[in-house]
Amino acid sequence: MIEIQQLTHVYPGGKGIFDLDFTLREGEVFGYLGPNGAGKTTTIRNIMGFVNAQKGRVMIRGLDCRRDTAAVQKFIGYLPGEIAFFDNMKGLEFLKFVGDMHNMTDTRLRDSLIERFELDASGSIRKMSKGMKQKLGIIAAFMHDPDVYILDEPTGGLDPFMQNVFMDLIKQEKARGKTIMFSSHIFEEVQRSCDRAGIIREGRLAAIEDVKSLNAMKSREFIVTLAAKKDVLNLLASGLETERLDEKKVLVRVARNFDDFIRTLSAFGVTNLDIRQRSLEDIFMNYYGKKGNGHE
Amino acid sequence: MNKTLFFASLKANWKLLLGTFLVLAMYQSVIIGMYDPESIEAMNALIKAFPEGMMSAFGYNLPANDLTSHMGTYLYGFLMLLFPLMYVVPAGNNLMAKHVDRGSMAYLLGTPNTRIRIARTQAVFFVSSTLLLFVSVVLFGMLVSEALFPGELNYGDYLLLNLVTVSVYMVLCGIAFLASCVFNESRRSIMAGLGVPGLFLIFKMMSSASEQLDGLKYATLFSLIDVHGIFGHSGYALLTSGILIGAAVLLFILSIRIFDRRGLNI
Repeated sequence: MIEIQQLTHVYPGGKGIFDLDFTLREGEVFGYLGPNGAGKTTTIRNIMGFVNAQKGRVMIRGLDCRRDTAAVQKFIGYLPGEIAFFDNMKGLEFLKFVGDMHNMTDTRLRDSLIERFELDASGSIRKMSKGMKQKLGIIAAFMHDPDVYILDEPTGGLDPFMQNVFMDLIKQEKARGKTIMFSSHIFEEVQRSCDRAGIIREGRLAAIEDVKSLNAMKSREFIVTLAAKKDVLNLLASGLETERLDEKKVLVRVARNFDDFIRTLSAFGVTNLDIRQRSLEDIFMNYYGKKGNGHE
Repeated sequence: MNKTLFFASLKANWKLLLGTFLVLAMYQSVIIGMYDPESIEAMNALIKAFPEGMMSAFGYNLPANDLTSHMGTYLYGFLMLLFPLMYVVPAGNNLMAKHVDRGSMAYLLGTPNTRIRIARTQAVFFVSSTLLLFVSVVLFGMLVSEALFPGELNYGDYLLLNLVTVSVYMVLCGIAFLASCVFNESRRSIMAGLGVPGLFLIFKMMSSASEQLDGLKYATLFSLIDVHGIFGHSGYALLTSGILIGAAVLLFILSIRIFDRRGLNI
């Protein structure tokens, strides 16, 4: 569906993206994850055809994203990462303007989105809060009912309630067969809503993986507090994957062998048992043998 | 051409356009009002009382014997060259560079319109709004002249003078638009869009003020607005305008091509 082919775009400072090569499938929600400055927006600028890559290209439905921009934009809904509008306009006026630029005639979807996001679009854009502007951008991206969404940090500036409204919208659009790519630097967001995730760091694709299989791969970590020192040593020697945290606390990593774990523990005097949830990011990074500091 | 964008640009720039027209209309009324057939001699004597260089820097060196020459001298020596920049420089920047600088260009290019179509629409708006400004000013000038001094204005000369002036301005629009298409930042686009005509104006003033600097007249388009050369010489006016308009067209074509091909950090 969206093919990113050997895409290389280097800025004068030496930053940029290098040899990105991956494909988004029709109908999937793809999370594009990475710290600020990793190259997410640069990738998106190339998908949108705003910039000229030094090497490689992006194709959507066989169309070249840089050359055939007008044809590609017909079925793309785009949310820029930086909020910038025509600040001499009012909210609704802006939506009308963008709608007209899309030759959009049916305004029902637009109006239902305004209602859904509880946006008061009557006021001047200049006076809107960051969250309101973000809603306005989301509505502008979704209102012409495109097949493909390219969303740059879509939940930025939204409060948790509106983030949920947005996530529901993503689910609904996925159910309608839309292809969605959104970038984020928040792991949970991608974990919650995506089929697949790609991690980019320093301009290179560090990992691309099925979110479901990653979730399945996810092991549990237990922090066991024991009464006796002797038991601590026995637990460490038990053959389970363990790590001593302090005098009486031992971390046990359990993937499938819960039975072994419980049987082993039953022999000891356990005073406390805590579960430590590992983030998907840890797993991602462990899996690929990289240290993760992508969370901001 | 995209009508939606054209009208959005009109809405974003009409106040600037109207403001510039009002300033020009005000100066026109004042200058035309100052024309007094009875006291031309006194007026010329007054000019002679000032240091010659200073007056001629502003183009006030002609013996203005009739209303048309009077306007040519006092309006088209300086005021009509400077004040239309009030519209042309900021509008040129607003139409392209500002959208790139602020990022709102992303919304324009995120619609099924090619860059060429977007840039061409903005260029058409720029040219037509600037033409509207000049046409309004010319009509207003005629109106005031007829009201105050019926039958005194030489329409032929007046129109030729304005034809050359507006043609020079088409080139200045082309320069401002080129700057707006080339630069990512408003700051730079304005600096170039204002800097070039600013230098033209300074060169023109210096070349008129001093014999030694006479050669500078070849470095400024404003010296083409030469009342001596234009009045009664429609051939010169038409040829000059034709060349200027040709240059303006080339500048706009170049601007649109560059904008189509370059990378935009939006």
